Amino acid sequence: MNQISHHPDQVYIDGLANNDSEVIHAIYKKFVPKVVGYIKNNSGDEDKAQDVVQEVLILLFDQAKAKKLQLTCPFDAYFFLLCKRKWLNELKKHSNKGVTIDKELTSIDGSVDEMVLQSEHFDEKQQLYDMMFQKLGEKCQELLKLSFALPSMEEVAEKLMVTYGYVRKKKSLCIGQLTQWIQENNRFKSIKNT
Amino acid sequence: MNEEHFLEFDEYLQGEMNAGDKLAFEQRMKEEPELKMAFETYKELHQHLENKFGHADERKAFKENLKKISKEHHKKHKSKVIKFKPWYYVAAASVAVLFGLLFFNYNQDPVFEDYNHPEQAFFTERGGADANLKLAETAYNGKKYSEAIPLFETILKTDKSAEIQYFYGVSLLEVNRFTDAEAVFTALKSGNSIYKNKAIWSLALSKLKQKDYKSCKELLLTIPEDYEGNDQVDALLDELD
Repeated sequence: MNQISHHPDQVYIDGLANNDSEVIHAIYKKFVPKVVGYIKNNSGDEDKAQDVVQEVLILLFDQAKAKKLQLTCPFDAYFFLLCKRKWLNELKKHSNKGVTIDKELTSIDGSVDEMVLQSEHFDEKQQLYDMMFQKLGEKCQELLKLSFALPSMEEVAEKLMVTYGYVRKKKSLCIGQLTQWIQENNRFKSIKNT
Repeated sequence: MNEEHFLEFDEYLQGEMNAGDKLAFEQRMKEEPELKMAFETYKELHQHLENKFGHADERKAFKENLKKISKEHHKKHKSKVIKFKPWYYVAAASVAVLFGLLFFNYNQDPVFEDYNHPEQAFFTERGGADANLKLAETAYNGKKYSEAIPLFETILKTDKSAEIQYFYGVSLLEVNRFTDAEAVFTALKSGNSIYKNKAIWSLALSKLKQKDYKSCKELLLTIPEDYEGNDQVDALLDELD
């Protein structure tokens, strides 16, 4: 994405991605109290608010690490709306199963809505991928974990005491299996906003 | 898609194809939308796994740091609220003693009213809710339980969700229809909904209201530790002992 279109608040995103304690403190000081206030006023309490905040910050970390988070709007509004929608979703989950929150957004700024939808979409996808990963056999899971954690496939082969050719082949077949499941799933209910 | 395709995807992503094969592969993607879609999914999964397992340690460190910082702010927030001066402690303590003297002897057994905090119902947030739901919600939240009960009964004819059953049961309990209320809660208790533990708690409250302390305690002891209202459970258990 274009460097120029970055919002100056991108520093918060970069700070999260770098696990910069100073930035995290700043977020807690400047932006979190508003979220906590909102949740407490809407059938929640301090602990629940802290959970929502942490979940959202972890999501932002993941999204930033995947290089898929370029802020084009103020962090304040974006962060608040994400937390708010996550909390409303949580409330609905507990009062009535199977209902997702409507896609109607409440902010006035179109770029905030767009950023929020992007993050929610990223979140949904991650959850789907994780769920499918759990469906894989133990061997596939272990091999994939190692393939991405170790610096080379040679080392994966060594660790698993099999040949290089085998781990290469197995890795692409395991991801292939995931690909098939995801495609079947998408045919079933297409994830919105792709 | 078959095995060949996936092996090919991997080779392409790793940049291991020779120039000719690469061009041919890209050409085929242009012509076969299905191949392209599968490839895009494969690529995304590849990125996802890379992100997930490649940064696993960093992610763990981030989560721990986050927890720590969250706790610090949490505490600061709390301590701000209870910044007592010692003088206030003395005053508060004397007031507490006074109240204790006044009321302690009269109320040795816990009473239902102390634990009766019916939560608010939010049926109509679902959107497109029917009129009865709205009416039931208003009546219930306004503590007009005898009005809410017939409305719940109508709704239950078409919507047997645990949520409605639970609020119906609470209404029955509020107007002292113990047998009916307990029947509702017992049904919920043997189910697997999120109202399961709330139902046990409500059953215990029903026993409390009828001053059947022994059954109340037995029920309380069956509520799992992770129940969200566990401090209430503990407080009541303490009082019962």
